Amino acid sequence: MPKICLYFQLHQPYRLRELEVFELGSAAVSGKQYFAHNESDDNREIFCKVAQKSYIPMLTVLCELIEHEPRFTFALSTSGVFLEQAQQYEPRVIELLQRLARSQRVEFLAETYYHSLASLYSQAEFFAQVRQHEQLLFELFGVRPTVFRNTELIYSNHIGWLVAQLGYTAVLTEAVPRYLGGRPKTTVYRSHTDEPIPLLLKHAELSDDIAFRFSNKGWHGYPLTAEKYLDWVEVYREDELINLFMDFETFGEHQWADTGIFDFFRHFVAHFNSRKWNSFVTPSQVVAQLHEKNAAPTHRLSRYFSRQPQLVTLQTWLGSTFGTLLEKIASKHQDHKQAQVQQLPVYDVPEPISWADVDRDLTAWRDNALQHDSLRVIYELSSQVLQSNDRQLIEDWRRLQTSDHFYYMCTKWAADGDVHAYFSPYSSPHEAYRRYAIALADLQERLL
Amino acid sequence: MAPKSSGVLMIGWEYPPHNSGGLGVACEGMTKAISGLNTQIYFTLPYALPGGLSHMQVLDCSDPSWSATGEPVNTPPFQAYDSTSSQSQVPRKFVASHELSALPQSEMETKVGEYAHLVAERAGSLHQSYEVIHAHDWMSFPAAKQLKEKTGKPVIVHVHSTEYDRIPSGNGSSYIMQTEYDGMKIADQVVAVSFYTKQLLTQKYNIDPDKISVIHNGIDPLHSYPDAGRHHFASKRPVIVFMGRLTAQKGTEYFIDLARQVLAKIPSALFVVAGSGDMYHELLFRAAGKQLTASVLFSGFVRDAQREKLLDRADIFVMPSVSEPFGLVALEAAQRHTPVILSRSVGASEVMASSIAVDFWDVHKMSSVIVELLNNRQYHASVVERQLDDLQHITWDKAANRIVKLYRSTFLGG
Repeated sequence: MPKICLYFQLHQPYRLRELEVFELGSAAVSGKQYFAHNESDDNREIFCKVAQKSYIPMLTVLCELIEHEPRFTFALSTSGVFLEQAQQYEPRVIELLQRLARSQRVEFLAETYYHSLASLYSQAEFFAQVRQHEQLLFELFGVRPTVFRNTELIYSNHIGWLVAQLGYTAVLTEAVPRYLGGRPKTTVYRSHTDEPIPLLLKHAELSDDIAFRFSNKGWHGYPLTAEKYLDWVEVYREDELINLFMDFETFGEHQWADTGIFDFFRHFVAHFNSRKWNSFVTPSQVVAQLHEKNAAPTHRLSRYFSRQPQLVTLQTWLGSTFGTLLEKIASKHQDHKQAQVQQLPVYDVPEPISWADVDRDLTAWRDNALQHDSLRVIYELSSQVLQSNDRQLIEDWRRLQTSDHFYYMCTKWAADGDVHAYFSPYSSPHEAYRRYAIALADLQERLL
Repeated sequence: MAPKSSGVLMIGWEYPPHNSGGLGVACEGMTKAISGLNTQIYFTLPYALPGGLSHMQVLDCSDPSWSATGEPVNTPPFQAYDSTSSQSQVPRKFVASHELSALPQSEMETKVGEYAHLVAERAGSLHQSYEVIHAHDWMSFPAAKQLKEKTGKPVIVHVHSTEYDRIPSGNGSSYIMQTEYDGMKIADQVVAVSFYTKQLLTQKYNIDPDKISVIHNGIDPLHSYPDAGRHHFASKRPVIVFMGRLTAQKGTEYFIDLARQVLAKIPSALFVVAGSGDMYHELLFRAAGKQLTASVLFSGFVRDAQREKLLDRADIFVMPSVSEPFGLVALEAAQRHTPVILSRSVGASEVMASSIAVDFWDVHKMSSVIVELLNNRQYHASVVERQLDDLQHITWDKAANRIVKLYRSTFLGG
């Protein structure tokens, strides 16, 4: 009965190769060599492995569903470093994504190109990386994202404000009980900022039933069938929204094909759609429906224009008179939208939250001294790096900002430690730090 | 009157390439020099040394039961001094087998006891071939005691390192300390590798100072000319190096603390910590906690070519040991034209008058010396030159001569 909003995250970092102190400042280390673009490239190996197990089969399933299920729609977020690696290592992944983009029923979300923590450290750098990502999405898929999701759903009031400055219409994040209180996560909230922006909150329980628990034989829900899952979903009312946000690798990598995850997903989509009162929505559709209520005809007209990418060209072409009229309509519509958003309940998040670990905070990336100090150094280098005008140096510096580098240094060895170890290419958090520090020292050397 | 050709039974524990610390290296340098002095050496090891050695006869005193597979044993049954073997020059495979070092104390005691029996048995039957027993460090002391009881020959125990050095807090193994004490008690003569160690033996172990001879270790000359200079890596920054096991004994934390002070004056300075050990993780956190990421780097354990490269590259070498009987690596750094700053608790400071000696805890003083050396190239060069002069006098031949004299006097005295 409720609406389901699906979003899958596609990301792969550039992992550091084995770096030695003895290479500091030598030509061998400079350039892309921190991340090993050669025969023995771990990044290639990992990417190709995951592509075979997850990206290609699941993207194929999604393409088929889009073709055969007219009412199926969903959102994807693809980091820039993911798309770069896909282009380089497995172009079929790009082709499948392009096929999905052509259907116009798949929404691409905005994020930082480097899947970084820039939103916490530097406004200028954050904006630059978001714009760089937008550019790539347009080049590869011809789309302009309107909804934003930050690295690992990291969000705070301040980040909500930053994203609104960039002109996005909504943000995806996590429903964290300490800030949500006892309120439902199945409604749309707004940011606690001067210019509020709608917030879509992840339904952790129903998302994790698929992402983490699906193949857990000790779980009471095992085995999870499409019918059973549908029963759980249909508990919610028609006007409620269930946001199922998860890693794309859930399908085929975290849950292997032999667990039946692909069949489960196909059946679930077909079953859900077979009942005509059910519907899938994308984040931008949620925002549109928000404004649809009580929307005046003029607003519909202006929305029609605002949705057309040609609007700007049209406006110039038609001349200033008609253009001014359109502007007036648009600004009136804008006021109306703001009023609609103002009416939403407030989700006040003074300290950053995320979708990671049981803490749902930043401690996966910024907890111990290794992480804090590595982050300090990389962001302290900002102005020096940018002033160098050395494109390769700037790119290396940005690749070193990818959040995964700090995630690997995490030493929280509670239940979450296992998850960190599962994802880490290094033997230990200490090794992750040791190597990262060498890469930083080399960046410094290049700046001298 | 001394016999024309004399013999010595040396009880060892490790020998290159299977050495965990300075002990194996010292035994190699010492025996090569002694063998040139008309002395036949029988050298026992708790494992087989395939191929043997040309300058002395190696006696394999291993027990086949020590090997799980029943294959001949070719490494020591445990690494006596460290958990991770920072000074070892052997391939990684051997290092990986260091789980042996985590032996529980009772098992360590058993191994040392078994070795003593095997040595007494094998070396006992050769008793007509040597006049003196020369035992290296505590692992060999029980064997020396048994062999003395069996043959009546005089014993010289050679102290390269004590439990007080390795565990400066004083909370070391009481079994090891007792074994050290017993060994020195039954010995006819004790050799200490430095006055620093002699003082420790008299103060902590209450050994009669008249019984202790100080014979400093030597150092082998370099086979190739050192290639000092900044061209190796990080050529745009001054590099300050620490090399050694990452244990409390080596004072690595003082190295990290002084980095902070030097960086305040010379922001581009780069500090390299080379080695591994039980304090590794703690030191990483210490460096990060003091905001030294990317200024203090950890190279991990280095060997052979990398080791030489690091010493060649170093602008300054620092050894802030809390307690170091000798400290061979400081001499190696000096050989490679690197000024050395040593703690006063390092035995090598007694023979390297030109190196700069500072109290290990005096981070402030060490930092100012580093800044001075980096800013004053002339001073830097003069320290390098004078250190090379010092090295001329630090030879194994000199040490060997004194050791052989001690053999004679002990034999005659006995």
